[in-house]
Parts: sequence; structure tokens; C-alpha cells
Amino acid sequence: MDFQVVVLAGGTSKNLAPLVSKEVPKALLPVANRPVLSYVLELLEASNLKELIVVVEGEDAAFRVGGWISGAYVDRLHVEVAAVPEDVGTAGALRAVAHHLTANDVLIVSGDLVSDVPPGAVAATHRRHGAVVTTLLCYAPVSGPSDTGSSAGKDKVKKRRYNIVGLDPTRQLLLHIAAGAEVDKDIRVQKNMLRAVGQLEIRADLMDAHMYAFKRSVLQDVLDQKDAFHSIRQDVLPYLVKTQLRSEISANGLYKVEDNANGTVSSQNNLTWMSQHREIAPSAFQALLALSPRSPENVLRTHKCCAYIASKSKYCARLNSIQAFSDINRDVVGEASHLSGYSFSTQNNIIHPSAELGSKTTVGPQCMLAEGSQLGDKCSVKRSIIGRHCRIGSNVKIVNSVVMNHVTIEDGCLVQGSVICSNVHLQERVVLKDCQVGAGYVVTSGSEYKSEPLARK
Amino acid sequence: MQNEGTSKPQKQKTSKAERRAIQEAQRAAKAAAKEAGGVKPSASSGGAVPALKQGKVAKPSSQRKDGPQVTAPVTSSEKKVVDRLPEKDRKKDVPHPRMQFDDKHRVEKAKRRAVVNQSEARSRVELFRHLPQYIRGTQLPDLESKFFQLDPIHPSVYKVGLQYLSGDISGGNARCIAMLLAFKEAIKDYSTPPEKALVRDLTAKIGSYVSFFIECRPLSISMGNAIKFLKSRIAKLPHTLSESEAKSSLQSDIDRFINEKIVIADKVIVRHAVTKIRDGDVLLTYGSSSVVEMIFLYALELGKHFRVVVVDSRPKLDGQALLCRLVAKGLNCTYTHINAISYIMHEVTRVFLGASSVLSNGTVYSRVGTACVAMAAHAFQVPVLVCCEAYKFHERVQLDSICSNELGDPDVISKVPGWKDLNHLDNWADNENLQLLNLTYDATPSDYVSMIITDYGMLPPTSVPVLVREYRREHLWI
Repeated sequence: MDFQVVVLAGGTSKNLAPLVSKEVPKALLPVANRPVLSYVLELLEASNLKELIVVVEGEDAAFRVGGWISGAYVDRLHVEVAAVPEDVGTAGALRAVAHHLTANDVLIVSGDLVSDVPPGAVAATHRRHGAVVTTLLCYAPVSGPSDTGSSAGKDKVKKRRYNIVGLDPTRQLLLHIAAGAEVDKDIRVQKNMLRAVGQLEIRADLMDAHMYAFKRSVLQDVLDQKDAFHSIRQDVLPYLVKTQLRSEISANGLYKVEDNANGTVSSQNNLTWMSQHREIAPSAFQALLALSPRSPENVLRTHKCCAYIASKSKYCARLNSIQAFSDINRDVVGEASHLSGYSFSTQNNIIHPSAELGSKTTVGPQCMLAEGSQLGDKCSVKRSIIGRHCRIGSNVKIVNSVVMNHVTIEDGCLVQGSVICSNVHLQERVVLKDCQVGAGYVVTSGSEYKSEPLARK
Repeated sequence: MQNEGTSKPQKQKTSKAERRAIQEAQRAAKAAAKEAGGVKPSASSGGAVPALKQGKVAKPSSQRKDGPQVTAPVTSSEKKVVDRLPEKDRKKDVPHPRMQFDDKHRVEKAKRRAVVNQSEARSRVELFRHLPQYIRGTQLPDLESKFFQLDPIHPSVYKVGLQYLSGDISGGNARCIAMLLAFKEAIKDYSTPPEKALVRDLTAKIGSYVSFFIECRPLSISMGNAIKFLKSRIAKLPHTLSESEAKSSLQSDIDRFINEKIVIADKVIVRHAVTKIRDGDVLLTYGSSSVVEMIFLYALELGKHFRVVVVDSRPKLDGQALLCRLVAKGLNCTYTHINAISYIMHEVTRVFLGASSVLSNGTVYSRVGTACVAMAAHAFQVPVLVCCEAYKFHERVQLDSICSNELGDPDVISKVPGWKDLNHLDNWADNENLQLLNLTYDATPSDYVSMIITDYGMLPPTSVPVLVREYRREHLWI
């Protein structure tokens, strides 16, 4: 279908320290005991997109990601892993692979997206409207349940990240997008945009899901001309949305005359016929533009930005903060369980056959125990995920947490709302509430931590 | 008979009626196997029939039905045993656009081949059961999610199909031009597979694209004529041409068709029609026709003084877009809905209508509501001029709007845009006694039409069969 796919898998992001480290780049962070990148790859494979380019920041991370992919997807996908220097931003990452892109349109997916929205829907909307960029918008997730929220101290104000999105009445054209810091200031809407569509609907409940379909020529032009652009979401996309009506992109793909000598004449004629007839899908947008008193050259220089709103029944979340990490883990075993690919037992949890449970140990619903884990007596596991080969002693309570592989937890511990990375050793009677323990850390016995990241120096 | 004896687990006591039913079934299976056996080698058809026999014997008690009804499940199970016919033969089974949809078995067959998922209509109006009943609301998301899995369909064909489904492109000329340009792209990217003839393979490919379009939205008559033209041009390609020459010749043929039959034809129609507009006229039009709009704008350029009345109707409300464009150019316009047609008709001096097609008996096949407008005009002795390009003419005859039509989305009727409190019909599907009907086309009898303006001149409606006969297909379309 003339689409190429680029997956931006990031590197070691600062938001997720101490969960990410040199050994575990962000793309390989486990969600329900599968690396988060695997969700994106499964989604693309299900849509029959077998040739991908995965871009990773940092040489080590690229090496590890490449190793994992070639191990797990050896026959199923054809993946090229490209390494880019750190901190170039998503736009910089694209600049590095821009010369590999040859197809007419490019689908860009963020590697930390956990979703079941079919990428074909975004691509179909993109083609149907002949747009320059199409974004996937999904309903912003409601924040987690109260037992995690209540323990956050008053001093830690959780800033809800808003996205302000402006749509036309048919909810297909994207007319305004603002994210991050801009949101707190005023919103500026262009008058000519309002005049062109008549009605502008501004919504704060939609979130940019970081799956974009770009027209390749336009993307390459923008990246070449604007060197300062760092991020797609914050720079490239708002730029394209703002310049919809006074397009400065010279290679407006629609109106570019192809090199074929015969084709030149006839395609020019084609275009004059079309503009006379207004017969190729004139949206109200462009038809009204044609009416405004401008010289004919200006009328042609517009482009469209479209949005595809995922339906409410689909799950869509991005792993860009620790709160999101806990939420996604909970959701994948809970409401979005079809994403995990596992089959649930009768008690609505996933227990690997090789996991051993002691006597009087309860494992509640929406939990997951991976292979080789051992739990001692009188333990209680509620809404948590426990990784492979963990040794958990007796009288341990694990609530609402994520425990990764090869973790040792001694007797009498209480782990609540926390994330414990691999190879951690928790000694006896440790109490952890809302903490994040980095890989390889040893928590001394009897200590109590609340809302702290613990990492090896 | 021997293998049946050994495979039967127990001897079942079958009554005389059941044995007779089994015998009929086997006879019918044999006859059907003989037909299908012509395609497959005899070994596999021989293998198919005993498998059938076993299948039939295993459930004799359920088969209390008569012979003909037993054959239906037999043929369907046989289809599962026999391999699917190759592409070319399957193409012949593609549902003809005039397929009758009350035959259950043909519908089932068509459904199995369909690319687009079509769900049954919730409630069907009995009188229109023979027309395809589609619910388009579910088709678009389904087609979108399969976007990357439909490899044999060219991207621009897919794009145009999506645009038809979502209603982005409407109007006979627009749809035809979009389709031809998509075919032009597809031909440009086409390459003959080895050991296949270009002519046959390309025709088969175009046929598959056409079936895809039909599933998105039933073909209009203009599109049907354009497809016939393209197929005849492909068939007439001289064998001595190389592939690239053949492709470029086809592309230039398509360009010439669009240019001569649509663009220049429109210009000629406009020139003719403008002579019928005098100063001080009040002209009425219905819906949004591209040709009529061009006539008005050209007449305005020539400096004539006239007023325009735009008549519109729910649910499409196309007239609004036309109204905006005319007002922007400075025309004096009045806008009304079709329920007020008899109140406004006394002011009107001429009526200009567009058409989707003109049939051989002079019937004008056009957007639903046109017949009403023409009839009202006739009652007030206002001349009705229908503007239609010659490539849209068709040799069939239609007496009413029922035998061939297109059904639209019934939900659109129950909602009025902008009036949220008019929600009495929100749960219309639950009511068994209520069916909603949304017709797209209607047929205007030739008595109500005063003149038809085409690129061959201005004719009375009775001259259309002369035009179709004299300027035969080859001339009409080339």
C-alpha cells in the first residue's frame, strides 16, 4: 500500500529513572512480562506490516534492542534497527533515517505505545483525505484508582497533562493542537481558520497517541528546512497544523508535476480541470477557501491535517511516566486483557504452571505470576505482576505493584504501589509504599520507604 | 457402496421417505459434481462425491425436507470440498450490478466473496428487497482496519473506494472522473505477470477493482459506461504493441475520454443552454448539479440578468453548497425545500435539472425529488430543461423507480441536523412495524421533460433512442 513504518523506540528516558538503565532501555521495559516494544510489533504484524525500521537512541540500547528483536521475531518481521545519538529528539531521529524512506507515505509509531487501534485506520483516513499528516487521537486515560493517589503527599502536585485539540465539525480535520507548556497560557486561534470552517470544536479530553501518518515528501522538506525542530509532537505537528492555510511547503505533493514528459502536460491539464470542476473531494474547507478573495496561486497552497479519533472501545496508552507504567501494567492484566495475549484462569489471573505457591497464599484477580516464581506461606498478592524466577518469602504482601525478574523478597515485607526492578534484594520486614527500586539494589532489612526512587549509585 | 458400509458406525433404520430423500440428494450431487467435474480432474471429483455421500448418510434423520431444498446444503458443502476456482472464472461469478438480492443463495455466494463486510439490514422494506441493502456505517471502520491486508488493490483505487463509501465524492461526473483517474494510476503501475497476456490479465484486474467499487457503493450509470469503454479499448489493443506502449495508449485513451466526453461536453452544453436564458428570467434548479452550476456562472459572465431558485431536500441537502457558491459569485438566489415547490413555481420561468442518466424511452434517471420538481413545473406549464452529457445515456428502459435504484442509509432520515429535540425516531429499529426507506434515485417520465440539452445538441426526450442507435456505442464513447 505504499506505506513505510518507522518505530521510534527512544533510549533511556529520564522520566522513567530508575526503571530504565543501561541494561534495560525504555523499549525493553516489561509490561505484563513482555517488553513494551513487543506490543507495537505485534500490532504491526497483525496489520500485515512486516518491514519496519526501528530507531533507538544510543549505541548500547540499539544493540540490545536489535538483539532482542532478532531473537523474538526472527521469521515474522523484517526489522532494521538504526542507532542515533542521544538527545536528538524524535525529529532528529527521523532526520537520521530520512534517506531510507522511499514510499509515498510514512507511518511513524512511538515504541512505547500500548494499543489495539489498527494502524490501517489511521492510514486509510490519511489516504482518503489526501492529507499531509494524520494523527491518532485517543481519549485521555482517567488517572489511576484512589489507593495510589491518596498516598501521594500534598507537596507532590500531579500535573495532569492536557492536550488541547481543535477539530472541525465533522471531527476529521485537525485545526489546532497545543500540548505541554503552551496549554497554561492563552490559546490562540487563527481567524482565517475559523472563517474557513465556520465552527471549531475545542476539546481537552483527547490525547495525542503518537501514531502519525506523514506524506513523505512533506516530512522530508520540513525536517530539512527547519533544523531547529526537535520533537515531532511539539514542533513539527503544530507547525504543520498552523500553516494549513498558508502553506510554505513548496513540495506540496498534490500539485507537484511529475517528471514524465508526457505526464507534465496532461497532469497540468488534469489539475486545471479539477480546479474548474471542484470535483476531487472538495471538503467544505477547501471550497470555502476558494471563495475567499485571493489570487489563484494562493488557493492551491494549502494542505490538510487530519485526525483519526480512536473509538472508546479501543485501548490506547503511552508509557511515558512511572504512573503510566503502573497504570498500563494494571490495565493489560485487567480491562485490556486481550492485549496481553495470555489466557486467564478461572480466578481471572495468570499463573504460570511452574510457579509455586506456599500454603495459605492467595493470589487475587488481575494478577500475573511468571515462570519459576516461588511464593512462601501466607502471602497475599493483589493486582500485581510478578516476573520470572522470583523468590518471595512468607507473610509478604504485594499490592498494586510490579515486580520484575529474579527478585528476592524476604519474609514479612510489604510492597504497595511500587515498582521493583530486576535482581533486587529486599531483606526482611521492608515496607515500600509508592517507591521505585532500581535494578540490583539491596534494601536493608527493617527499612521503610515512602514515595522514593531508590537506585544504586 | 462398500466403503459406505464399513464407515457407517451402526445400521440406521431409515424410513421410506428418508431413503427417498437420500436418493434424491445423491442424484442431485452427482449432477452437480458432473458440472463442476468439468473444471477439476476426475479423480478429485470422484473423491468429492463419496465424501458427500458419507456426509449425507451420517445425518439422515435431519433430512426430512424435499429434494430441491436438500440440494442447497449439498451444493454449499460441495463448494467447501472443491478448491476455489481460479481468479478468472471466479470473476464471472461476481454479482452483476443488477443482481436480484432476494435470492438467498446468490446473496450468500456474493457475501463470501465480498471484500467489504456487509451486515444485514435491520429491517427491509418488502418492495425493495431485490435491491442491495447495505449498512454503510459499519463498512468504513471495517475497511479501514483491513487497509494493509488488501494487497491486490491499488492504493489509489482503494482511496477512491473509501471516498465513495464515506460520501466525500458524489455526483455522476465526479465519481466517473475519480474512478478513471484511479484506473489511470493503476495502469501506470501495472506490469504483466510472466506467461500472461496483457489484455486478459489487465481486464481481469480492472474487473476486480470494479467489484471493489461496487461493494463500496453501487455503480452509477456514468461509471458503468466508462468501464465498458475502458474494457473495449483494452480488448482492441493491437497485439504487436509492447507493454509500455500499450499502457501509454490506454492512459491517453482515458485522458481523451475525460476531455472529450466530460469536460468539452460540458462546455458545449453550457453554450447551448445559455441561449435559452433571457433577461428577467427566474430559473429553478434542484439539488446540486455540476453542469447546471456551470450554466448559471457562464450566463452571469455574459451579463444576463436573472434570478435563481435553489430547491433542496433532506437528507443530503446538497443545495446548500451550490447556494454558497452562487451567492459568492454575486447571483441573486432564493433557497427553499422541496415541500414548498408548488408555492414557488408560479414565479419561475424555466427549470434546469441535471441527470444521472437518460434512458432509452426518454425517462430521466436522476436524484430523488427530480420527478416531483418536473411534475410541478409541468403543472404550471413551466418548461423543464434537462442537461446531460451524451456518455451518460443508456439503452435500457425503465418505467418506474422501483425496479432499479440505490438504497441509502436509513438512519440519516431519522435525524435532522441541528434539531436535537426531534428524537422521536431514535429507536425506530426496535419497532417491528416501522421500516425506513431512503431512496437515492428516481425516474422522471419523458412527458414532464421539455428538452434535453446534450453535447450533440438540444433534443426532445423522444430522440434519445435515435442518438443511442445512430451514434452507436463506439461513437458515443470514443
